[in-house]
Amino acid sequence: MKQMKKTFALLLFVALALSVFPVLADEPGEGVLRTAILYDISTMDVTKTTDDYMIPMNVFDRLFETRMIDGMSQAVGSLCTDYSVSEDGLKYDFVLREGVVFSNGSPLTASDVQYSFERLLKENRSNTDVALEVAGAEALVNGESGTLAGFAITDDTHFSVTLSAPNAGFIAELSAPFMSVVDAETMAGAKQFGTDPADTIGSGPYIITEWVSNDHYTLVYNPLYWGEEPSVKKLIVSVIPDAGTQDLMFRNGELDIIDLQGLDSAIVESSYKLLFPERIVSTPKVGLTYLAINSGNEYLSDVRVRKAIGMALDVESIITGIYFDNAVRENGIIPTGIWGHNDALPGFSYDPDGARALLSEAGYKDGDVRFELAQDNTAGSNIRLVYDAVSDYLAAVGIRAEVRSYDHSSWLDLRNSGAMDAFVARWGMDYNDPANIMYTFFGSPANTAVRSLNYADTGIMERVSAARAIVDDGERQAEYRALEQKIIGEDAAWIPMFEELHLYCLGDRVASFTPHWAGFTDFYIIDVVLK
Amino acid sequence: MLNHILRRLLQAVLVLALVALLIFLMLRVVPGNPIATMMGEHVDPAVIERMTSELGLDQPITVQFFRYILDAMKGDFGTSYSMGKPVDGLIRTAFPNTLILALCAALFAWVMGIICGTVSAVRKNSVLDRLFMGFSLLGVSVPVFMAAMMLQYVFAYHLHWLDISGVKNWKSFILPAVALGWNSAGSISRLVRSTLLEILQADYIDTARAKGRGQAGVLIFHAMRNAMLPVVTMMALQLSSLLSGAVITESIFAINGIGRLAVQAIEGRDIPLLQGTALFSTALVILGNLAADLLYGVLDPRIRKES
Amino acid sequence: MPDNDPFRKKENVSGQAGDRLPEPDGFRSIVKRLAGENKLAVFSFAVILLFVLAAVLAPVLTPYTEKQMDLRHRLSPPSPEHLFGTDEGGRDILTRMLFGSRVSLLIGVVPSLVSMLLGAALGIVSGYAGGKTDTVIMRLADLMLAFPSMLLAMVIMYTLGGGLMNIFLTLSLVNWAGVARVVRSETLRIIKTEYVEAARITGVPGFRIMLRHILPNCVPTMLVLFTLNIPSSILTESSLSFLGLGIQPPDASWGLMVNTGRQFLYSAPWLSLIPSAAIMAIVLAFNFLGDGLADVLDPYRKNQ
Repeated sequence: MKQMKKTFALLLFVALALSVFPVLADEPGEGVLRTAILYDISTMDVTKTTDDYMIPMNVFDRLFETRMIDGMSQAVGSLCTDYSVSEDGLKYDFVLREGVVFSNGSPLTASDVQYSFERLLKENRSNTDVALEVAGAEALVNGESGTLAGFAITDDTHFSVTLSAPNAGFIAELSAPFMSVVDAETMAGAKQFGTDPADTIGSGPYIITEWVSNDHYTLVYNPLYWGEEPSVKKLIVSVIPDAGTQDLMFRNGELDIIDLQGLDSAIVESSYKLLFPERIVSTPKVGLTYLAINSGNEYLSDVRVRKAIGMALDVESIITGIYFDNAVRENGIIPTGIWGHNDALPGFSYDPDGARALLSEAGYKDGDVRFELAQDNTAGSNIRLVYDAVSDYLAAVGIRAEVRSYDHSSWLDLRNSGAMDAFVARWGMDYNDPANIMYTFFGSPANTAVRSLNYADTGIMERVSAARAIVDDGERQAEYRALEQKIIGEDAAWIPMFEELHLYCLGDRVASFTPHWAGFTDFYIIDVVLK
Repeated sequence: MLNHILRRLLQAVLVLALVALLIFLMLRVVPGNPIATMMGEHVDPAVIERMTSELGLDQPITVQFFRYILDAMKGDFGTSYSMGKPVDGLIRTAFPNTLILALCAALFAWVMGIICGTVSAVRKNSVLDRLFMGFSLLGVSVPVFMAAMMLQYVFAYHLHWLDISGVKNWKSFILPAVALGWNSAGSISRLVRSTLLEILQADYIDTARAKGRGQAGVLIFHAMRNAMLPVVTMMALQLSSLLSGAVITESIFAINGIGRLAVQAIEGRDIPLLQGTALFSTALVILGNLAADLLYGVLDPRIRKES
Repeated sequence: MPDNDPFRKKENVSGQAGDRLPEPDGFRSIVKRLAGENKLAVFSFAVILLFVLAAVLAPVLTPYTEKQMDLRHRLSPPSPEHLFGTDEGGRDILTRMLFGSRVSLLIGVVPSLVSMLLGAALGIVSGYAGGKTDTVIMRLADLMLAFPSMLLAMVIMYTLGGGLMNIFLTLSLVNWAGVARVVRSETLRIIKTEYVEAARITGVPGFRIMLRHILPNCVPTMLVLFTLNIPSSILTESSLSFLGLGIQPPDASWGLMVNTGRQFLYSAPWLSLIPSAAIMAIVLAFNFLGDGLADVLDPYRKNQ
């Protein structure tokens, strides 16, 4: 009996100990914003990433920023206050903003901009495409020259950039996060730029003060910032690898903004839209979710099969059923929200009988056409459902497209090798210019191979590449429309599906929030206003 | 005794070396290019090729292995592909979290296991016995992620007693430790119960009883001491499973630990990081086993003499 | 398996005292004693049989197919049409549970069987042969046991890629070492008996001794280990699936179902709770059965 009493006493003690814990989580301080991400960032250096733009966007400035103005996204001057273009579209003269200093007090000069361009090319990792357009870029990359020939400095605030070919999208491109301007003097002593917050110095509205891997990072307001003082003084971004946990934390008041795209849209629909109808903010995720089909495949090389696939998919039902209408149908290559988007493209209409007819015309019976739908196993639950739905719709017209799951690396490997049969993926736009998607997918044989499209028409690819240099807006738009018509309408080289909406939910401490113009997960902190 | 320890240490080093080789070889046959994964979506194939040779991944495997071992001996485990930081630094920040978590979980498991097991054995077939054994059986049957999510829901979300996730202070470890340790608590309490039951029926206990010792005395002086042997072994073995079981708990509670690093390494095909975390965890487990072994020697005089 | 040799049985019945080993039991007598001593184990066995039956008869028991989507009925709660409700793709959860039970049961049984056979063979050889053979095998086992098992499974699954066969392989590789250790110590104990000594002295070949004398005496231990390995395999698979390294969709296993349903835990709890309950039930059943078997088969415990 003694033991029992002791045990009871102990249990009681444990229960008591548990119940006297200070009850609530710590309250956030004034001006503090708390958000969460699913995966930690890999670097703060924008030349080394194509995904982690949050710190580059907020700690650094660019010559231009793409901002939403009256519902339209456009490039506006940031570090650059004025510019002019020569007649032939080759030479750009820029004027830098006066009196800008980096967060360590070092002043911004034209040579910093030159340094940033050259650094991008010398690092030669990713995101080099814009800088490569500058005259002399190739020579710098090859090591034939130590400086960028197309970059000429007049004085501290005046410089010019000469391109090797005219490019109508150049100013838009300069607003991409990877065109961030760093300080040449600071960089000379910054051994750990991109990994150590103390070395990662920019001129933007925020300073990165700490980054604890896999845990959180913190940004605080930069008192030397040239622009207006923002409402958020401190941002804490926690790494919470589980969307369900983020969900709980938000409901518990531990997060001020939750990115709803990690959650299945059914949850958003059934709980968030009912619980917090006024606090949901949505923005188009400018980009395109598509079904890529490999024209190099035995069956898919036949245009009739490709068209049949386009007609077999009931994209409208996918949008309604899976996305609860938080997506818009896309029929072309250039997505809604991007300059040059064509609303009038007819696209594929859902016609299973027509699809069957086309297949039998091509000489295929039920179940003859079979290929693999390769799925990246890191895909979110919505995209998984899209895969299953595509497979089901294709089965309904007699095409056997089995979903097979690959880990992320194997998936990338297979796709890059050009041997993937078909897959569903999304391309997000980096800057507001159609070349960002047209050229990437259909600009050269290498480009279509690396996405396992293996588009065959080299003549069209040359035109896609050349379209970048058309300076006249009207002409350029007409050319892109013709190309879209040919690639999608006639060749059915890939199947555009839809553009998603990116939904966020705001906690009760947030007064307003404007997401990134292209619906990135990353956003400008200055666009958040606290109550 | 000293001889025994030295021999075990030598064995441990050998095992560790073999593990290093094994992990290294396994990771080389994995399909998929780690550089392509690291560079992400918008990248030029030529850049991938250049980086592959920069990182020495196009060298013969033997060269890569010896280079790795040499660097590792100097404490340099390479730079993580996916996080861009030195692996040893990442492990150094992550390890305290895993250690605290595993120790808390072990403490919970040991205390709960021994209390539940003992009470159950002494009060065999009583309501308490049923209750504790139910708790134990549930512990060994519930998948750890399920336990973690339930605890999170009840204590953090519903009752607001504790934070849902992340490491802010010592309280942050309570829920993860319970989630992680429950399974071990179940195993230990079941073992304690069955061992005690067996011993309580043995002759010398009867003798002790006959000598007039009270039941508490019997338990503490005789039964427990003998029951400790298998229990200690089990406890040490559990430590190993706690350290590696922490993978899932760490993910759910967003604790930056070794397990989560390993998961991250796998997702990002980050060979240096995976090698580092795998080697490190293995070394920990080997040390744990070694400790158990030595403790066993201390507790059991027969073994002490044999060696 | 323990054989039903009437000669042995007679010997057993005669119950000779002394240093003789308790003889392996006939299957029928095990069941009989199990039924007598441990009702819970028998009940568990019945539950397991029920699960097996459901897995075998899956296509007959349900009007739906495993992968059939119905986007108009996403996340519908349990109802007469869908007894366990539907998942995020409108698929019938009962159907997926039934088909998933095939995978989960296979994952429980196959690797346990393989690792038991492998472990037993190596354990007996190791214990019987001693010397260098013993050292090599036991160091190898140490090597396997030195790995944190989850991490080892993760690394192997990662190397091989997801899928059923690879899970079998991984779990077998992870589990054999534990079995080998136990069987080895069991073998060492058996070898010391006069019974085996006698066989050795009279020149019975080693292989024969291992097969005819040692193995049958290890069977009870092996059976217990086998039964207890099944639930741990099922749990390990569910954890691997949790990390995306296990069964790959659109195949269904209970572990995978819990994991895909996990984000709906608070909005559509049936998605993850039902398969979790199934995992718990089967794991509990196997644990009870294993305990019962251990009670009945352990030559020391059963005499108490």
